[in-house]
Amino acid sequence: MTMIEGIPEDLAHVDLDEKRAILDLDASLYPVEALYGAAYVFIDRCYVFLDRPAPQKLRIVVTPKSLEGGEAQLRQVVGELANELVSAAWRHQITQENRARIEAVTMQAISGAMGPPSLDDLEDFDFTDEAFEDPLGIAMSWEEKYAKKSDPAEETAAKGEEE
Amino acid sequence: MRELRFHRELYRGECVDSAIQVYAAYAEITTEEDETHWIVRIAASSPARERRIGDEMANYALGLTVREGKP
Repeated sequence: MTMIEGIPEDLAHVDLDEKRAILDLDASLYPVEALYGAAYVFIDRCYVFLDRPAPQKLRIVVTPKSLEGGEAQLRQVVGELANELVSAAWRHQITQENRARIEAVTMQAISGAMGPPSLDDLEDFDFTDEAFEDPLGIAMSWEEKYAKKSDPAEETAAKGEEE
Repeated sequence: MRELRFHRELYRGECVDSAIQVYAAYAEITTEEDETHWIVRIAASSPARERRIGDEMANYALGLTVREGKP
């Protein structure tokens, strides 16, 4: 096992016999989703294997598919993977923080695409809730506003005809 | 004989099974499981071939697991 220059030995080291690099990560800093995201980026040019050697440790073993650059190439792969891990962890955190907003926007988009509600939906809808607060008591219902006003002269005429 | 130990919290069992099915034609593959890992043993005509098949299978299982989501 050889340590990589600039990276602590307990964090990453290179196994030149097996032509692979091993990264040990603190599971409290890097969520598994970030590990997947970063690993997935590398599976086209490296063989990637994940493990959990201890409950609070995650391990990534990367073996480049073609190792023409020797140790220098392994060191480069480790550096790129470490950067990708930070990036994936950050993207995961942003997604978590904006989850509620993303869900609200998605729901609005889906409900808009569903079209107008059916008669059954309207029948089941609960209209008992107050539409809005009216502290000054100036709100008026449609029936109150547009109800036909009775004319006192017409009422008297109608009574006369009945008699 | 090459042994791969897929951690149950990191790899989905059905994804490991799918990977085994894909590479079963190229080597003799036996499986076992313990409390924490799916254990896959690969026997082929040479150690280099065993290693290659194991590496490809691990990538395949990882790709499927990432696509399906955390176990």
